[in-house]
Amino acid sequence: MVESEEKWKEKYQHLRMLDELILQCISCGDCRETTDYTNDPQKWGVCVAREHTSGFEPFFGRGKMQIIRSLVQGKLELSKDMSDVIFQCPTCNACSEACAYEIPTVAYYEALRAELVDAGYGLEAHVPMNQAMVELLNPYGRDNKEKSSWLEKLDFKVKDASKEKADILYFVGCTAALTPDIQTVAVNTAKVLNKLGVDFAVFGDREVCCGSVAMRTGDRKAFNTVAEKNYEMFKKMEVKKIITSCAGCYRTLKVDYADILEDLNIEVLHTVEFLLELLKEKNIQLKNLGINTTYHDPCHTGRHAGLYEEPRELLSKIANITEMKTIKEAAMCCGAGGGLKKGFPELSLEIAKSRVQEAEETGAENLVSICPFCYRNLSDAIKALDSNIKMVDLLELIYQALD
Amino acid sequence: MSKVKEVYKEIENVVGPEYVTDKDFMKAAYSRNVDPAFPDRWADVIVRPETTEEVSEIVKIANKYKITIVPRGGGADLVGGSVSEGGILMDLTRMNHIIEINEKDFYCVVECGVTWGELISTLHPMGLTTGVLGPGSGYSATIGGGLSNSTAGAGSTKYGLVPDICLGVEVVLPNPQGTIIKTGSAANRYAKPFCRYGVAPDFTGLFMGDVGTMGIKTKAFLRLFPLQPYRKSLNFLLNKNDWDKVVELTHEIQTKLGDGLNSLSILPFTVVMMMYGMSKNKPKKRPKIKGPAFNITLEAPDPRILDIYIEMVNEIMLKDDACRTFQFSEFDMGVVEAKENQVILKNTFHYFNKYIGIMPGMISLTTCHKVPISFIPKGEPYAAMFDKKFMHEFPLKAVSLFATVIYVLSNGHCVFVGGLTAYNRDDQREKAMNAWHKKLRAQVRYGGAHYWLGESISQSIVEAGAYTPEFAQFFKDMKKAIDPNYILSPKKFHMHSYDDDISTHIIEDEPYR
Repeated sequence: MVESEEKWKEKYQHLRMLDELILQCISCGDCRETTDYTNDPQKWGVCVAREHTSGFEPFFGRGKMQIIRSLVQGKLELSKDMSDVIFQCPTCNACSEACAYEIPTVAYYEALRAELVDAGYGLEAHVPMNQAMVELLNPYGRDNKEKSSWLEKLDFKVKDASKEKADILYFVGCTAALTPDIQTVAVNTAKVLNKLGVDFAVFGDREVCCGSVAMRTGDRKAFNTVAEKNYEMFKKMEVKKIITSCAGCYRTLKVDYADILEDLNIEVLHTVEFLLELLKEKNIQLKNLGINTTYHDPCHTGRHAGLYEEPRELLSKIANITEMKTIKEAAMCCGAGGGLKKGFPELSLEIAKSRVQEAEETGAENLVSICPFCYRNLSDAIKALDSNIKMVDLLELIYQALD
Repeated sequence: MSKVKEVYKEIENVVGPEYVTDKDFMKAAYSRNVDPAFPDRWADVIVRPETTEEVSEIVKIANKYKITIVPRGGGADLVGGSVSEGGILMDLTRMNHIIEINEKDFYCVVECGVTWGELISTLHPMGLTTGVLGPGSGYSATIGGGLSNSTAGAGSTKYGLVPDICLGVEVVLPNPQGTIIKTGSAANRYAKPFCRYGVAPDFTGLFMGDVGTMGIKTKAFLRLFPLQPYRKSLNFLLNKNDWDKVVELTHEIQTKLGDGLNSLSILPFTVVMMMYGMSKNKPKKRPKIKGPAFNITLEAPDPRILDIYIEMVNEIMLKDDACRTFQFSEFDMGVVEAKENQVILKNTFHYFNKYIGIMPGMISLTTCHKVPISFIPKGEPYAAMFDKKFMHEFPLKAVSLFATVIYVLSNGHCVFVGGLTAYNRDDQREKAMNAWHKKLRAQVRYGGAHYWLGESISQSIVEAGAYTPEFAQFFKDMKKAIDPNYILSPKKFHMHSYDDDISTHIIEDEPYR
């Protein structure tokens, strides 16, 4: 397929896993800025890089694919300069969504990032994050014991998954467990589950990061370390169903752990998927709160996993929804993912500001989503813009609507 | 300091450090477009100017240092037109603003880096259209690229090629002064850009289909039409593989439908079979396919008129059981069929790209060219004759199609959209390139007129000896008048310098004519 096949496969351990599609990118450029008012949903651009970077080709899918091709054909070497651009991408998967050949572009970018990290060209900003993830079991560099602090805000006891059996494991995720402003996501999720009589457990301060940040930023060793720990914990607990309120954890457990968890036969669901089914099953009606909202599709539940209708179905029972200009497959990313917020916080914030402005155009008072990391970045943007729109997690509204 | 470094520094002073690069990984990302038949080519400097004035300043620098410039639009080029070996590669996609949409006077002013997808998506909801919707790669292809390649696209059966809707351009001439001019009525400093003729000779035409050799287009003034709100696509399968019948039906449709006919394309029998074969979403029931497929798009300002058009088409196509109606979902259940009155840009833009690659990892050696409609029955046998004679010179496992589709244009001719494929491997590249050029020369010699000329096809036209010595001299003189240092896109048409004799590139002794 490509020159010196043996040689490059030896050189690029991560890219070689994907070799069959490396030459499939014909370089058409649809991944740059496809605009199509006739598409359903309408597409108004693809890549956030168009508005927020210098716009040279490596910022887009096509350029990255050509870089990868040049590497495996021995025409180019990995470099620090390359790394600085390759990591300026939230890996939102919009390019793959636009691709005529459905190339899983993000898998290529992540493999390229892994090559860069292995070659010593990873981003310095990501090193302490991934190191903390391995050593402290969370990427925030905090004592993992703090992960149980949100439980103190509950007036009921939640089962400890390390000691007690439960039907369901609620995988909280590091952002919701450790960020004071966002602990409401975990608190409300637990309250809703409790209210609905769900038999669930959490690992609390023993919960290990899912490894999403390491996977996205190319540190495969760190990812494998925490993935193995999680595997052992899931196995020991004999859990059959994991639910999570974090889009990043959801994508990681559902997609990146697919092989790892294969023999454990575990079903991974986002909380909204689980609740929608449960509410229907129990025929529980939600109260309409009469508020005006718009919904932001997190990339990790949306383009990475196809979860578009479930959150909308729930939200439409509770509130009025006015959709933004770009939604579902064509939704603009919030700019937090792919290690962008850590590596390039200013760029990440600028992207989030664009998304908040799009939300403001709907006239809604509440910007609703289902991802603590989107919540965080969009909240930062709301603050930076001094916007009146309020960031809300869907579970908070569901809890109110159950009241 | 090397010449390239000096050029870099001076360009940096014009556009700022963020918008110029000479980094290797950047060069690699621009080393090819949809044209992997060419070896990778790395520019020395890549720049993304924001304004016409910046383009002009860069042109002055290029002239000062006698360094070449290749302009690049959306980079969806199939024929080596927007890649630069050394020199300056000018990425014009930063100039992407729609400046004016004049609903009253039916024209618009756009920067040439605007994509067709964006322009159409802006115009259609306003009830306006450019008529021809730009090249098949219109999601990424730019207005400038469409003009430079004089491409056809959806709507060309009625509205003509992309240059046919061009009322004028703003262009930076590649001379040492980096002169900026406007053509069409905009050449009259007191006039708006509302029409093409009546101020001076049609200098707009000089920059249409020039594949970036005569100037760098920065703005375009385009004609607009009211969007016809009622439309319908009809598909017919001919009941036998008979090209004479195709010509007869095509002629009758064009003659009788007039303004109601937006688009007419014909898929050869082999292509319909391939579509079915390649489909990932095959229907359970194997479709009956006996001949070419017609796709006819009708449009009208009133539903009653549309109904008359539909009736007329059915009458022509179904007469004597010549055809049967069908839906593309008979072959590929994944195809989204347009509903009545609906435009689906995906069918125009996305599927073009989807089928260009034919198979993963293959090179597309496109030979798209225009022929008179009466030539249609000769196309397939000519191509078969060529393929049989020169198959031994083809690259490994090449697939040759005289046309993946025949697209009918507005005035008695059509495009054979076709080509060869080859493995995307370095050891096959030279062989692929040679076979490609040979096939292109054969098409030039049977009287075909190509349209996206880029590097490979423009060179093949010269190699085929298409130009008389008088025309070649005229062309060179024109080029020299505008580009005295021959800095702009020098490889195209084998026109490297004024002193070069392009007739030395003519390949005389080819047995196939």
